[in-house]
Amino acid sequence: MNHAIAVAGALIGAGLALAGGAIGAAVGDGLAGNATIQGVARQPEAQGRLQVIMFLIVGLVEAMYFINLALGFYFVTSVAASVK
Amino acid sequence: MIHAPFLQEGPPGTHPTVQVCQGSVKLGIGIVNYCALSVDSLISSAIAIVLTLAIVLFVAWRVRSGVPGKLQVILEWFLGYVRGLTHDTVDPSADFVMPLAATIALYILIANWLDFFPLFGYVHPANSDWNQTLAMALVVWFIVQGYSIKVQGIGGYLKRFTKPHGMNPVIRALFIPLNIIEEAVKPITLSLRLFGNIFAGILMVYLLGLLFNCGTQPGATIGRIWIPTGLIGMTGWKLFDVGLIGLIQAFIFMLLTIIYFGDAREGMHEHAHRESAAATSA
Repeated sequence: MNHAIAVAGALIGAGLALAGGAIGAAVGDGLAGNATIQGVARQPEAQGRLQVIMFLIVGLVEAMYFINLALGFYFVTSVAASVK
Repeated sequence: MIHAPFLQEGPPGTHPTVQVCQGSVKLGIGIVNYCALSVDSLISSAIAIVLTLAIVLFVAWRVRSGVPGKLQVILEWFLGYVRGLTHDTVDPSADFVMPLAATIALYILIANWLDFFPLFGYVHPANSDWNQTLAMALVVWFIVQGYSIKVQGIGGYLKRFTKPHGMNPVIRALFIPLNIIEEAVKPITLSLRLFGNIFAGILMVYLLGLLFNCGTQPGATIGRIWIPTGLIGMTGWKLFDVGLIGLIQAFIFMLLTIIYFGDAREGMHEHAHRESAAATSA
């Protein structure tokens, strides 16, 4: 019984972490894309350089989400394995 | 039932370990075995190290005057780019950062791209083990601290923790804990970023493999639609994750290494500015 409750709690926690991470990553990606579009509209010749920077920022922003995903998986599996 | 080799793999995150001595710390619900070695990470990182050395030494051995080969052009462009970045971000005198950052980037890129090849069991991307990325991040962090003490002196190094400079001493004292936390979490965020991306990559491959498995169960008729879905999804994800994310993460790790070295010189320019301003006003 304790095991079931602990695993359910871990799953809910991982789901909350994933939801928050997804919202944050989506907002961050949107901000990076927004700034890139504005920059290209203002200076079309800078598109190549801006795209490189945009992908860099997108990588940094989405890293937070992937950290959430990996740690959530770890928490769920370690709770399922260690709580009797 | 279709027998696909990737379905035989267990869930990612479990590493076979070898106990070299006795010793463990109980941390929360988990037990940290600091005496255990992850065999699979050692093997895959050894392969990546040997490949990196082989490629670079091969290019260095083939260097001739005249028209350079394609690989040589790419490497020369890359090294020149890293050198320019180091000079701009850190200082032209900090040339030792360039080989460190370039080595880190090349090694991480090759270790990530090893995942393109169908290697099973003991060989997986080395950076999907946190021990691996944390070790690299800690090495970078300690060199950054040493460099900061070397350029700024002990006093200047400690003064960095009272950012922002040029404010009321009371406010600067309040900022000390924040600055210490900011410095202490650097290796953790640096390593978790790389580890999380690569680990989430193989986790997704595992989940898509389960999707594929749904269609191969005996008695699955409608469920057979999951076979092409799983295969297409896996191919697309693998291209995106290994090709693009692996490249971007290698670049970001290198870039942040250089930026941390730039941070280690923080406060020096303001001194120089203030002194030059005082000299011109006097």
